[in-house]
Amino acid sequence: MATEAERQAGAALPPAGRKDGSEVRRWSLARRGRLLESAMLPLAWVLVIVGFGAAEPSLFLSMANFSTIFGSQAVLFVLTMALLVPLTNGDIDLSVGAMSGLVSMVVVVLNVQHGMPIVWACLIGVVVGAIGGLVNGLLVIRFNANSFIITLGTGTVFSGLIEWMSNEQTITGVSTSLSNIVFTDEWLDIPIEFYIGVVIMLVMWYLLTFTPFGQRALFVGQSREVARLSGFKVSSARMQGFVIAGVIAAISGILFVGTTGSASPSDGNTLLLPAYAAAFLGLTTIQPGRFNAIGSGIAVYFLATGVAGLQLHGYGDWVQQVFYGAVLVVAVVISRVLSKRRYGEVAAT
Amino acid sequence: MVALLGENGSGKSTLVKILAGYHVPEPGGELWVAGREVPLPVPPGEYREIGLSFVFQDLGLAPGLRVLENLFVGRRTAVSSRALQPISWRSERRAARAVLRAYEVDLDPDANTGGLRPTDQALLAIVRAAEELRAFRERSPAAVAAASRDGGHQTAGRLGGVLVLDEPTVFLPEHEKVFLLELVRRVAADGTAVLFVSHDMTSVRQIADHAVVLRDGRVVGDVAMPAVSDAELVELISGHQAARRIGPAVGVTDSNPAPDAGNQERAAQPAEPSATRPPGARTPGATAMLTADGVSAGRLTGATLCLRAGEIAGVAGLLGSGAEDLPYALFGGLPATGGTLRVGDWSGPLSAHTPHRARELGLALVPADRKQQGAVQALSVAENMMALVLGDYFRRGLLSHARIHRTAFERARSYGVRPAEPSATLASLSGGNQQRVLLAKWLERPPKVLLLHEPTQGVDVATRADIYELMRGLAASGVAILWVSTDFDELAAVADRILVCAGGSVVTEVSGPPFSRDKITSEVYAASAGPLAEGV
Repeated sequence: MATEAERQAGAALPPAGRKDGSEVRRWSLARRGRLLESAMLPLAWVLVIVGFGAAEPSLFLSMANFSTIFGSQAVLFVLTMALLVPLTNGDIDLSVGAMSGLVSMVVVVLNVQHGMPIVWACLIGVVVGAIGGLVNGLLVIRFNANSFIITLGTGTVFSGLIEWMSNEQTITGVSTSLSNIVFTDEWLDIPIEFYIGVVIMLVMWYLLTFTPFGQRALFVGQSREVARLSGFKVSSARMQGFVIAGVIAAISGILFVGTTGSASPSDGNTLLLPAYAAAFLGLTTIQPGRFNAIGSGIAVYFLATGVAGLQLHGYGDWVQQVFYGAVLVVAVVISRVLSKRRYGEVAAT
Repeated sequence: MVALLGENGSGKSTLVKILAGYHVPEPGGELWVAGREVPLPVPPGEYREIGLSFVFQDLGLAPGLRVLENLFVGRRTAVSSRALQPISWRSERRAARAVLRAYEVDLDPDANTGGLRPTDQALLAIVRAAEELRAFRERSPAAVAAASRDGGHQTAGRLGGVLVLDEPTVFLPEHEKVFLLELVRRVAADGTAVLFVSHDMTSVRQIADHAVVLRDGRVVGDVAMPAVSDAELVELISGHQAARRIGPAVGVTDSNPAPDAGNQERAAQPAEPSATRPPGARTPGATAMLTADGVSAGRLTGATLCLRAGEIAGVAGLLGSGAEDLPYALFGGLPATGGTLRVGDWSGPLSAHTPHRARELGLALVPADRKQQGAVQALSVAENMMALVLGDYFRRGLLSHARIHRTAFERARSYGVRPAEPSATLASLSGGNQQRVLLAKWLERPPKVLLLHEPTQGVDVATRADIYELMRGLAASGVAILWVSTDFDELAAVADRILVCAGGSVVTEVSGPPFSRDKITSEVYAASAGPLAEGV
């Protein structure tokens, strides 16, 4: 019988392939390449600092400047963290920007117009974020719809609700106890909200890297079909991702209120693009090829440093849009090229 | 009208793919189409220019488009068409109606193609292919005329080109196949030669003038259709003395040109005496690990089977028999419309079954489609291998990547994964090594029931041998294994018993052991043609 012959022929061979020095060398080379890859963004960040430092030593290299950069970008920092679980799950949530703005407005309206204590207003804000995430998840999963389009729609609805709630006016006069905690209080000359962002980043890093939850999200995002046939609960994983995104977006909205003491109708959406730019830039570093919290955090401050430097150098506000947009495109291109190269290695093996 | 017959792996599809230009044949062959010699290999996509037209199993229709858009897609892709040339939908519609009427196919040109019944979709695909050939004839009248003067070659289709149908009836309901066969007859009456590649003996018998039989890449027979008996055909296909059960089927099928009535009857009562023979009777005393009753999911319509501890139960069936859906249905990976499942103490309806529950019950599934369903190509060996046991490595709130890496390294060693590098991307491994990782993933938590679909597809010889060895060992330790394969050599080598699927249920068992490929082939063909005859 042919198979028996094959089997016997097979038994004479070692299990598969062969092991020799070149194989080991190839792996160590690949590992060194990956190490270089993961260090690229932090290096670029240092380069930007050195560059602007040389150009504008007195303005750029001041502690006040760094304090501003770290403090003012905390809202974006936190909002970027909101994207990570859905992105790892393979879902794109475009509503987080508007969600953040909606929560800001809810908190302000409750506190200023209804006299609700700020703590309760913030708690309700977080609940609103969770409900928003739940709605996104239900629509996307229940109807098996494209998350990109659904959240584009819900995000626009949230923006509309903000305008309705605010009568299209900026509302100010929020209890100063919030801005004291978030913005005015400092540690090492940096506002507390930065440290809140760092804590959230560490939590996301832990969640995605050191729990089975994160590994499951990875499977769900890489291949729904494999995850499903491996017995993972794909729908509940994705649902949790949307709710987590909603809650973290809510926190970023609260930090915004603390920073500015107000909420205005147009806030949240301007942060959506830089948040995506940071998340995709984060894809190229620390754990290349994976949406990761540390990498995204570094990316946020790389972007912030770049924009601050360009503005100190005399460019107008327009440069911010150009820089954010260009970085998003470049980040996506780089991560495509890197993953293609990784697959290129495959062909050689 | 010529039928091309042969078992799995006999070279039918290779031949068809050579004609379509997918494969480059070794030099030495000759191809004559429409009276002209065509140089081999056929350039990909050029088959239309030489008078060939194909309808593959997946039909190649765009489900979101209207019937008329699918029908005339050739006009859009033709070299002569211009992107901005206006389309008169009114005249297109009129033309579509005329074409459909000419072939006596009753379809609305404005209907959405995806909403059509499978049979209507198949009819549409055949009409489109026939139209392509008609366009070819109009395009090159000189060639056709030359061919008719020449006439020396025995190549069929000198005038009208060749329509190649690759397993066109597999996924159609039994009683609707007749519409397709009628359409093919009309196309042939137009002067087109038809090559009908099929496992479906009943359809072949109704339509073909003669049959060419392939085995192991060679033509082993070219027989005139009415003259040859079913038993002789199966013998040619399998190279095995036909089993006696074929006997009664022969006369009845020969004399009965209207099989649909019999088939409807069969569908109404799937549990014929032969189907209810309790599978597993051969291993009395062994505990039943999994019992499934009346499984209806995908192409399965009421399959019943029982897997016992310590056995490897092979499943054989022709394409479309439902065998390929069995592992997924039992694992809850395919939406089920009916049936019950019992695993150990647990039992419940299959419609509420999920892969998650299956895993909790100790079931494991190794799918045939490694890339799409089995393992994540972009993740590492360790991540794929340890995906199902992460809980064991989550201690005091931390997932220990170091321990995962260490275990994965040990497993990679013991399963012979090369390179034994847990952090390597799965995609960087060969097919055989990927399969080792996939098996390790499911065996990390020893299953009670292991469901395998084509577990040695696309793997090297050494891996294949190792998998056989591994599975025999698992069975010996008391695991029940379901092994669905189209490689009958493989089933003969590993299985303790072999279930035969046909028409969506488990109809019988191959007698034995010992088994052989030829015996399995002939019994599978007999079972697939048999119920028809019995139903009449």
